[in-house]
This record gives sequence, structure tokens and C-alpha cells, in this order.
Amino acid sequence: MSGSRLWTLVRLDLTQRVRSVAWYVMLGVFAAILVVVTALSLLSFSYAGGAGAGAGVYSVVVFVVLLLAVLVSPTLSGNAINGDRDAANLAPVQVTLATTAEIVLAKFVAAWLTGLSFAVIAVPFMLVAAVSGGVDPLVVFVSLVVLIVEIAIIAAIGVGLSGILARPLFSVAVTYLVVAALVIGTPIAFTLGGAAVRTEVTQSYRSYVYDESGMTANPPECGPWETTTYEVPRFDTVWWILSANPFVILADATPARFDASGYPEDLFGNFSYLVRSAQIPPESERVSWDDCARMPQPQQQLTPEQLYNQTTPSWFVGLAVQLVLAAALLWWGGSRTRTPSRTLPPGTRIA
Amino acid sequence: MDAATDPTGAVATGIVATGLRRSFGRVEAVRDVSLRARAGAVTGLVGPNGSGKTTLFLMLASLLTPDAGTIRIGDVDPIEQPHAARALLGWMPDSLGTWGALSARETLIVTGRLHDLPKDAARARADELLELVELTSLATAPARVLSRGQKQRLGLARALVHDPRVLLLDEPASGLDPAARVELRHLLRRFAAEGRTVLVSSHVLAELEEVIDDAVFLLEGSSVEAGAAIAGRRTRDWRIRVLGQPTDAAASVAAALEWSADAVRIDRSDLLIALATDDDAAGALRRLVERGIAVTEFAPAVGDLEQTFLDLRGGESA
Repeated sequence: MSGSRLWTLVRLDLTQRVRSVAWYVMLGVFAAILVVVTALSLLSFSYAGGAGAGAGVYSVVVFVVLLLAVLVSPTLSGNAINGDRDAANLAPVQVTLATTAEIVLAKFVAAWLTGLSFAVIAVPFMLVAAVSGGVDPLVVFVSLVVLIVEIAIIAAIGVGLSGILARPLFSVAVTYLVVAALVIGTPIAFTLGGAAVRTEVTQSYRSYVYDESGMTANPPECGPWETTTYEVPRFDTVWWILSANPFVILADATPARFDASGYPEDLFGNFSYLVRSAQIPPESERVSWDDCARMPQPQQQLTPEQLYNQTTPSWFVGLAVQLVLAAALLWWGGSRTRTPSRTLPPGTRIA
Repeated sequence: MDAATDPTGAVATGIVATGLRRSFGRVEAVRDVSLRARAGAVTGLVGPNGSGKTTLFLMLASLLTPDAGTIRIGDVDPIEQPHAARALLGWMPDSLGTWGALSARETLIVTGRLHDLPKDAARARADELLELVELTSLATAPARVLSRGQKQRLGLARALVHDPRVLLLDEPASGLDPAARVELRHLLRRFAAEGRTVLVSSHVLAELEEVIDDAVFLLEGSSVEAGAAIAGRRTRDWRIRVLGQPTDAAASVAAALEWSADAVRIDRSDLLIALATDDDAAGALRRLVERGIAVTEFAPAVGDLEQTFLDLRGGESA
């Protein structure tokens, strides 16, 4: 592994991207989207009265950057290796002293840096959020680290698949499918899985005994307990599925900040709260109505902050799964690109 | 085994391949190829489309593992030591990609850097090579605006960046204009004179003939011994042009040779006769001149290489 060859290859890749007009158009469109998003979120978070607005706006901007990275990265990385092979540009590099590991790693680093340029474009908008106040430096730090890692994971998946599959169009599509499986597939699996695993809830109630004229005795006489049963989905058995979702990882890894009444201040906290509530199992027995209870039963409603503190963080499991997936694909793609090659993807010429 | 020493004292690096075989799925691209390319010589690789030339080049260039057989570049096995082989090899592929956004100079600098040349050396080498392949005026233009021939010259320059001892050139002349072809021939001769090993394939056999020292014939994935084909050759066509190209030239030539009229064929304004040996050719020419026929041209109708190639193909299909 030679640093100078690696860097030469990374620069080669980046130079070609930087010199295409399409690239600037894309960044321009992205900046325009961020302008709109920032303006809207400034308006929508203004209820927080200044102090919290910045935190909300910041979290929205970071989410949008991740969304854009998820949407665009597969096209930036999904044809890295087989696209070069198709253009007859891979073999001339393979016959230099550059090793396969250097070539694949350089492709990955270049795709990663390209994805990160979206985050760089977003920096002014993050500053706007910071100026609005209420942004916790720790939140900024953790969320940015997770964002950078997530962009790396998607880049690695794309580059890996582009080494494994022969056709650029196909590998870009598969990269999209893998990313979609993580982003959209996990909530679908979560919803269906939770709905498939149901348990019975026994609901009981009792009321006073009423006579024909609708009066009760004095003192009122309690009627017998009556019960009904119904089924509820058990999301608490499948909540972990969501932990592989990039947005969940971002939200869950970032330390949640709550306001004085225990409500999340930003989108990270809200999202994390939403996902973590799925960990709470439903009660198997509940009393829906009891006329005879002396006092109205105190509702045991937890604040989001309390619930958040009671439940388990899961982001590191999801992140580990993603890292293993990305590293495995990258390694596999690399081993399919190794020369002198023994096997070729069907229908390819290596030159 | 091949590490002879050339006159300059450097260790000569030839190519020796034995019993190479490589198939892709059920397609046997290379069945049985053995070849030897000497250092200090230009060796031509001749074969029809689909005879396995490109696959052979890929194996020699350390990109493809043969199913069987061995390769030595000097004393390096490109399959076992691809890194060492790549330092020796300059390969110019038949389908050559260019980094469209990079200029010719940048392309060469990047390639040099990938061969571990220091920055300044890579820059100097790039300028030197642009000069050599006459692309200096286009050095800063993005490669995507280059014509096919210019890209081809850039490809050649790219193969030369690290001053390789062994050159593998797959169809280097395709797309080149006549002047550039002449230039290429001079270059190849110069490389050979410098003691390098040059293996070159081309479809333009007449042109190849002028530049190569040895030839390797490839037919349906196998290397063919050319000696047998030459020995087995029955006749060869000779082209005769008579001064003024008179309409009765065929008849007078037939009469002079005391042949039947239909033994002399007419090819546009020239005549073709079949002769078995060079002795026969000398005899026929002497006779024509003695009989007062004004011969302005008397030459083999096709080049040696082409004739051998055609003989080999004929032998295969017969």
C-alpha cells in the first residue's frame, strides 16, 4: 500500500468529477433545496422562541444532508469500478504498480469525499442554525460524525457492488436497492413484523348496576367485571429492526436534548423518542373503565424524556451491522477486481 | 533461461510463453500458445479476428491467469509476481480508454505517478513522451477532444511512461494516419535497437512485415509453426505490369512463357501468374525480358507475411 499512489488515484477520480458541469448543477440544486428547507424550518421552529429554534433547524439540515447523500451516493459510487472497466480505463491502471487494494480503496475514498461535499455545502446552513441559538456542541459533534460515517457506508456499499457486478446500470440499481432496504425496508419490516406478532390484551371494565329507569341504588352497587379481548401488534419484539436504518442511527446516536417539560428540542430527539417508544411492550391486561374506583385512576403517562431514559439505545448495533455489510461488500468487490484474474464476471472483457 | 546479455551490457528481457490455455466459460479463447519474443527484436503477432491475440496479451500483461501454461518475462512470472512484471511491461491495449476530463499531459503524469515516479520526474517524462508521439500541441486539451489516432498515440505514450523493457502493443497502428504509421515503425525499430523486447499485433500485414524481425502466427487460439506452412506452400502469385498496359499483354506474356493463355490472369491493369519458387520467378522474369516484353513491375502479389497467413488459413480450412 503506497500513500502516494492511493492519493494519485483519489485525485484522479475527484478531478474527473470536479470537471464535469453536471456535478456543479447537482450541488447548486442541493444548495437551493437547503435554502428552502432552512427557511421553512426556521419558520416552523420559531414557536420555541429563539432558544430552541437553532437546534431544530440544525437537526433538519443534517437530516436533509443524509437524505440527499442516501439519494445521490449510489449514483456516485455504484459504477465506480465496473464503469471504469466499461470505459476501458481500469486495465491501464491495473498494469501500473497500483495494487488492487489501492484501486478499490481509492474508489471508496473518492466516493466518500464526493458524498461529503454535500455536507460541506450544508455548512453555511448549519451556521445559520447555530446563530439562531440553542445548538449544543456535543449534538453537533456526534451528529456530524455519524453523518460522515453513514456517507462512508453508502459509498463503500456502492463501490463494493460495482466491483462485484459486471454491469454499471445493474450495480447502481442494486446499490439503490440495498440503501432502500436500509432506509425504507427497515420500517416496512418493522411494521409488518410487529403486526404479524400479535398478543391478546384483556380489557376489563365494570359499571354500576342500573335499574330500569336508569338509576343506581344508593350507595351505587358495583356490577361484575366484564372482559373483552383484542389483539395488539407487538412492536417491542421487532424494534431492533429499525436500528439498521441510517436515519434512526443518526437520531439515536445523537444525544437527545429535552426542554423543561420533557419534550425533545430537535428532530433527533423526536425521532429517537418515536423509535424508542416501540420498545415498550403493551400491557396484557388493562382496565378501560371502572365506575367503582374511588378516584379517577392516575394515568401513568411518561414524558418523552422519561421514556427515553428508560429505553435502550440501539444505534451501535445498527451501525455495526452496516459497517460489517459495507466492509464485506468492499472486500468482495476487491477480490473480484484482483489481477491476474482467474474468473471474470460473465460477459465482461477485462481490458 | 532467457537472460542473455545484449551488446550494451544490460540484461536482456525476452518473453517466453509455453502451452498457454485460457477459456471463458465454454469459449476457448486461447487453446495452446507457445511463443518466444527476443530482446532487441520486434516480434509480430499475426492472426485473424478472434484468434486469441487480445486474450494472449492480457495474460502476458499480468491481468489474466492462464488455465494452463507458463509465462516468463525475463525471469519474472507475471502470474506469481505481477508487481515485478508490471515494472518491466508496457502494455497498450486494443480498446483504450482515456480519462476524458484529463489532458494528455495530466494522463501521462498520473500514469507516471502510479509507476512511482517522483512528481518532477513524472512531469518531465510526460513532456518528453508528448514530444515523442507528437502531441505537444495538444498537451493541455482534454483527452475527450482527441481524435482516434491521437488517442492511440497517447496510449502508446502511456505504455512508455516507466521506460519498460518489454512492450506489448495490441494493434498500435489502428486509427493512425500514414505519416504516423511510418513514425510508429521508426519508433518500434528504435525500441528494438535499444535492446527492448517488442511484441506487436496488427491486421495490416504489409505494414507489419516492414518492421518485424520474427513472426508468431495465431490461428483459432493456437500458435502455428510458420515453417511448415512455408515449406508446404505450392504456388505464390506474382504481379506483372507491362509498359503501357496493352490489352494483349496477357496473351503476349503467356506466349513468352510458353503457357496456355488462361494461366495468366488479369487483375485490373496488371497480370497475375502463379509460380512455385523464387527460382521459377527469376526464370520467368528473365524470359519475359529476353522476349522483349517491357516489364515495369514484377513483384509478389501479396507480402510474405500475408502469403504465409493465407497459407495457414487455407491449411486450416482444407
